[in-house]
Amino acid sequence: MYAIAIHGGAGTVPRATLSAEREQCYRAGLAAALDAGFEVLERGGSSLDAVVSAVRILEDDALFNAGRGAALTRDGAAELDAAIMDGRHMRAGAVASVRHVSNPIELARRVMEKSRHVLLVGAGAEEFALEEHMTLVPNHYFRTPERIEQLEFEQRGQRVSDLVPPAPPAAHGTVGAVARDRDGNLAAATSTGGMTNKRPGRVGDSPIIGAGTYAKNGVCAVSATGHGEYFIRAVAAHHVCAAVEYRGLTLAQAVHELLHDILRRLGGDGGLIAVDAAGQLVLEFSTEGMFRGARDSAGRREIAIY
Amino acid sequence: MSRPKLPVDCLLAVLGLCASLAVAQAERATDSRPLVLVIHGGAGVIEPSKMTAAKEASYRAGLAAALDAGYTLLERGGSSLDAVTAAVRTMEDDPQFNAGLGAVLNHEGDAELDAAIMDGSGPHAGAVAAVLHVKNPIELARAVMEKSPHVMLVAGGAEEFALEQGMTLVPRSYFRTEPRERELEEALRAEKARRAGGSGRDMGTVGAVALDRAGNLAAATSTGGLTNKRHGRVGDTPIIGAGTYASNDSCAVSGTGQGEYFIRQVVAYDICALVHYRGLPLVQAVHEVIHEKLKRTGGEGGAIAVDPAGNVAMDFNSVGMFRGVRDSRGRREIAMYGDGRR
Repeated sequence: MYAIAIHGGAGTVPRATLSAEREQCYRAGLAAALDAGFEVLERGGSSLDAVVSAVRILEDDALFNAGRGAALTRDGAAELDAAIMDGRHMRAGAVASVRHVSNPIELARRVMEKSRHVLLVGAGAEEFALEEHMTLVPNHYFRTPERIEQLEFEQRGQRVSDLVPPAPPAAHGTVGAVARDRDGNLAAATSTGGMTNKRPGRVGDSPIIGAGTYAKNGVCAVSATGHGEYFIRAVAAHHVCAAVEYRGLTLAQAVHELLHDILRRLGGDGGLIAVDAAGQLVLEFSTEGMFRGARDSAGRREIAIY
Repeated sequence: MSRPKLPVDCLLAVLGLCASLAVAQAERATDSRPLVLVIHGGAGVIEPSKMTAAKEASYRAGLAAALDAGYTLLERGGSSLDAVTAAVRTMEDDPQFNAGLGAVLNHEGDAELDAAIMDGSGPHAGAVAAVLHVKNPIELARAVMEKSPHVMLVAGGAEEFALEQGMTLVPRSYFRTEPRERELEEALRAEKARRAGGSGRDMGTVGAVALDRAGNLAAATSTGGLTNKRHGRVGDTPIIGAGTYASNDSCAVSGTGQGEYFIRQVVAYDICALVHYRGLPLVQAVHEVIHEKLKRTGGEGGAIAVDPAGNVAMDFNSVGMFRGVRDSRGRREIAMYGDGRR
């Protein structure tokens, strides 16, 4: 079975603040990303290509906190993190704190495929992007009126949502995808702008292999979203795979234990999507909602928020 | 005391016996869970054939200074966190090791530093990457853990935080030493000639793990990374779970080696997961990850680890690893190479 799951962030999405029209926009954005990724799998493409195409679409969609429309730092700039992992060869690539790369997931993939490194940060990562003939964009490309308003709300001390601006209280936006292709290869990709009003230079779990992103053939692929600091301390994504591999838990049990036991005990919340070796998808969260979608070759196709 | 004349004497004798029994019991309790500090100064040690007696003595003295600086704190009842910080700080300030002063230089000729610390009792963690002006990156990583809501800060943003914390920044020239400049020149020449640079020197990193009297574990790691590395390249050192990890439930680990492999394998956390979830003894878990999993993917390096019972592992699949261990059972060792030669 081939399958893909995507997420567009987990957090508090008060129904009152999400109008029917707006909800339709989010659902349409998720559907576009889900179907683009699924079509890659359907054509016989790799899970790696599928997760990149899904995440790219979410990065380009200003509604989601990644790429264009990312949450802004306390000095008003977008500062982006992304990671990708190929479970077949256990290769990985990640970038953090980049300010001029329109699709950070593409750059993360180049780091994996064209450099001997796994993680590049800041200006050094952008230098590499230029060497790879990627075009840099000015930082204002990422800044949308909604995110500027959201930052102003936050800086005035009014907590707002990173998911749906402006809507109290705070939540965690990030986008990600996991997939299993026809050949059984697993892949995971995650991209984010991080927290609104974050300190410049702050890096969350998204670009940390093992925390926000992880994939290993025969075990599972994971992409997380949530309060990044807690996911780093818990080594969340690898924890899920270790629970499956070493203790024989099902993927659903492993994810449940991480979110509702381990992270809750540490005081963190969020959500994650995962796929196991057989193509079973798990989408779970400890927050009020998580923008998400799942589709597989057995005919399942779902988009959900709450 | 054999024939006490007064009941008071008798009582005192009994109390005295009780007190000495209590002390003996406390000693046994301490003995069953010793104080432990383990350090490493990198797995990229010099080939035995190229190591001179003078150089070896100097490295040993550097390792001993770090080991004793950290252990003294444990002995005084200090925390494992303070012990690993002191040990790593000492090696950061020693120009022989690839961290802080004397760190290897990147392609642009700057020391670009990464560090992480983790407190197994939280777990709490702090890390910094790609900083250019922080004399002791391990201190900044600790400030990130204790004074910010974050775990990881990088580059200019991390240095901004250092200034806000009242830390003094130093010029880039502070870190550069003549031997490191020569190494960079060699690497640049080799790069021009399209030859691969020597890999041995590429695995310097310093780290420490400790178990304190309260039973808390901690781990700390600090590095300059790779000679001639690309600006912005971050290795495993500041990645929680890859080069640094500690949890009172399982173990504390600090790694050193080819960072990219350690990141992909999530080495430090994987060791603790094998201990915690598969019930492997610490030494076996480290062996499996370093000699089997890591080696299978082509990764070279080593790791030091300690568990809540005070078991220690120091293992590597490279030619050697600068290392030292000291505990409250009287063990004190400094070593560089494998079984045949210390």
